[in-house]
Amino acid sequence: MLQSESITFAYDKVNQFLFPDIKLEKEEDLLIIGESGVGKTTLIQILAGLLKPQSGRLKYNGLSYHDLPSKELDQFRGKHIGMVFQRPHFVRNISILDNLLLSLYLSNNEQDKERAIHLLEHIGLADKLNCKPDELSQGEQQRAAIAMAVVKNPDIILADEPTSSLDDTNCEKIITLLKEQASSTNAQLIIITHDSRLKSQFKKSIIL
Amino acid sequence: MNIRRLGWRNLLSNPLNTTLSLLLMTFGVGVISLLLLLNNQIEQQLKANLKGIDMVVGAKGSPLQLILSSIYHIDNPTGNIPYAEANKISKNSLVDFTIPLSFGDSYNGFRIVGTTSQYPELYEISLKEGRMWSRSLEVVLGSTVADVHQLKIGDTFYGTHGLVEGGHVHDDYAYEVVGILKSSYSTMDQLILTNSHSVWKVHNHETIDDDHDHANCDHDHEDDHHDHANCDHDHEDDHHDHANCDHDHEHDHHDHANCDHDHSEEVELSISEELSIPDDAMITALLVKFKSPVGFIQLPRKVNETTSLQAAVPALEISRLTSLLGFGVKTINGIAYIIILVSGLSIFISLYNSLKKRRYELALMRVHGASKWQLVKLVLQEGMTLSLLGAIFGVLISRLTLFFMTFLMDQKYAVSSFQFNLINEEFWLFPIALFIGIAASLIPTIQTYNINIPKTLSNA
Repeated sequence: MLQSESITFAYDKVNQFLFPDIKLEKEEDLLIIGESGVGKTTLIQILAGLLKPQSGRLKYNGLSYHDLPSKELDQFRGKHIGMVFQRPHFVRNISILDNLLLSLYLSNNEQDKERAIHLLEHIGLADKLNCKPDELSQGEQQRAAIAMAVVKNPDIILADEPTSSLDDTNCEKIITLLKEQASSTNAQLIIITHDSRLKSQFKKSIIL
Repeated sequence: MNIRRLGWRNLLSNPLNTTLSLLLMTFGVGVISLLLLLNNQIEQQLKANLKGIDMVVGAKGSPLQLILSSIYHIDNPTGNIPYAEANKISKNSLVDFTIPLSFGDSYNGFRIVGTTSQYPELYEISLKEGRMWSRSLEVVLGSTVADVHQLKIGDTFYGTHGLVEGGHVHDDYAYEVVGILKSSYSTMDQLILTNSHSVWKVHNHETIDDDHDHANCDHDHEDDHHDHANCDHDHEDDHHDHANCDHDHEHDHHDHANCDHDHSEEVELSISEELSIPDDAMITALLVKFKSPVGFIQLPRKVNETTSLQAAVPALEISRLTSLLGFGVKTINGIAYIIILVSGLSIFISLYNSLKKRRYELALMRVHGASKWQLVKLVLQEGMTLSLLGAIFGVLISRLTLFFMTFLMDQKYAVSSFQFNLINEEFWLFPIALFIGIAASLIPTIQTYNINIPKTLSNA
């Protein structure tokens, strides 16, 4: 269960944010909608444990993980949180399959090659396993990035604007893929976006 | 997939930078290692050939030349000395033993040395096949001589006057091979050994022949004089002053009584012949071993001050020689260290640039759960791998170079004992290289440690 209470963050005196409280039960998904400049990326980085809130409480299953020492926070993030970015990013010098294995390695998971291959096959990248990220098309990269985030079976999938640059068809495909992957791994999906096309897809949403 | 493998992949995916850094480190370490090896080999070779010889007595001249010519057989001799006078030194109570050497002739560039059987014994070299000489004109070959000329027991050859190829051939007396020495990786491999009498005989005979019966002699005097160029002996009487038979022709060449061998034909000579030594016999040098270190204090000075001979102490001359070489070695060494530093700079630049491009990847890895230290390990590892690999390649390449140098070099001066294992001074190259690698990675490492993930992610 993810729960936040009156989280604030300020870059400077002008850019100050107070975020609405979040209470997310197990197996609930969440859509956070907001226009540019309302701190969407800031919120997702706080949720991911990358940015420490200035005040307020944030707990996952009762653990306020921002209070963990740096190394344990890294491990917490690796184990529980999978992140999908607006633009897909990889470690460029290794193959797509190795990127997935690296993600498993860094999150202290067993490097289950079978599972990684199976996952890539499932999202239609069976013939791209050993390709370098640069050799994939934009759409393939998008799917591979999702695979890299979910391969370690995270409890929460955080997606930052995953669809904003996609046309309707691809938008649909990516959301379907994200939902499918989330449910198949029992993960909670949190999407932060300004893309109002997604509104109808989620039961629970918050407006920033 | 792990940090180590990722580091490798990063290095391999940037082949140009990686190659440049590696090449520079390899080159720097290689040059230093080669110098150390050469230095080591030369020193070893110089010392191995000393074999406990404490003093060398020869004609006046350069002491270094005397040592080089009579111990290492690489320079021309300083001249000849009367055997009788040299023999007086042998009887000194401080002297353990002495070995006479007479040379001046060669066979295809390999020196023919008249000596006693004590000479190979001093070098602890035993026969590979055949036997030691038992009479004049029998020779025992060093292993290289036998190899190069494919000489076998029973083969005969003529000596050439002088120490280089192309001199006048002493074709009245043929040497017969009776034994071949085991290979010892010392100068002994390059020598043709015989007894002193053989050398005296060849030269005595020719001198007399020349003077008495020119018809029997198929060389002319012109040639003969030219041949002396390689033989630093005394030309004062402008005569056939052969290196090893420097007797005074004015008095002696009519006096056959002093030449106790028969020059009209090859005669079987008994071992007892060795005991009778012509009064006018000359030798080129006398190797001396002292009974105690007291000899060092007294004998060299005594010989130099009271006789017309020169005494040189090999240990002193060799340390003089190596200190002379030392300056050049130090200069090249200095340049090589600068190359290593430049390789460190190259490692730094390539790491710095690649990290600038990969900053986002590092942040991404942190998002996926990597700790700061894992990333530090990744960066440090790249620098250390480059520098250590460079050092290993450098040490290997220096050995390859030395191997080919030995291979290509003139057999006569071959540094034959080749070693692949590390010498002590070389162990230092690894910590030095590693230090350079770490120092070069320091700034990129600190940048990696302090990476601001949210900012890096936002700017991507």
